Amino acid sequence: MGTLTIQIRSGTMMNMDTNVAVKLARAALDKGHGVKIFGYGEGVTLVKDGQDPKRFPNVGAELSELMSRGAEVIVCNTCTTARGIKRGEEIAGTAIGSITNDLSRFVSESDRMVTLAR
Amino acid sequence: MTDDLLTIITKQPYGSEDAFAGMRLALGNLVSGLVPEAAVLLIGDGTLNAVASQRSGVLGMPSNLEALQDLLDMDAPVYCVEDDLRERVGDVEALEGVTMVGWEGARELLSRHHMVTTF
Repeated sequence: MGTLTIQIRSGTMMNMDTNVAVKLARAALDKGHGVKIFGYGEGVTLVKDGQDPKRFPNVGAELSELMSRGAEVIVCNTCTTARGIKRGEEIAGTAIGSITNDLSRFVSESDRMVTLAR
Repeated sequence: MTDDLLTIITKQPYGSEDAFAGMRLALGNLVSGLVPEAAVLLIGDGTLNAVASQRSGVLGMPSNLEALQDLLDMDAPVYCVEDDLRERVGDVEALEGVTMVGWEGARELLSRHHMVTTF
């Protein structure tokens, strides 16, 4: 089985990119593949704890299920800092990391990468 | 498992964060040592990032030219589809070190790299 990295650069609201990322991750896990998700740019909002969309899927809540099945979720530190998201505000189990230390590891450990962005 | 990454930049230098973010992503991967080959390919409006005379200071924005230079300083290959650049700005000077390629060369780059991301 292989490993898939999903690079997400869209925010959790305004469009369905993060929903697609979650569904794609779930499908890959269902088939026995490893999954790594890296949030970059607006994509870092993926890990913000306390998301509460009233009428739309709660992507943040779905991350916990993915991680319980082995998915790894890390977002870019420079991007979170720029947006005022502080360490400790991320969903438990996710991490605020970096391109150099984390995305590069994801790339080196993966067989395929899908980029979701607008 | 992959040891090479091609970052394709399709967006213009200013007006959105994408082009700068793509170059920084390529640089971060290169600096990590985990991805030994992190090449950049400029296509479409992304070729404007290679224009040597751009002056980001006017906008108070980070310089995409410096971001490209950082990659070149790390010996990262930076390619630019020449037809796309000339179509947009004619015969302007491009940043020294950027390798001009045709679409055939761009296709070869795409097929040679195991992992590709687009900005």
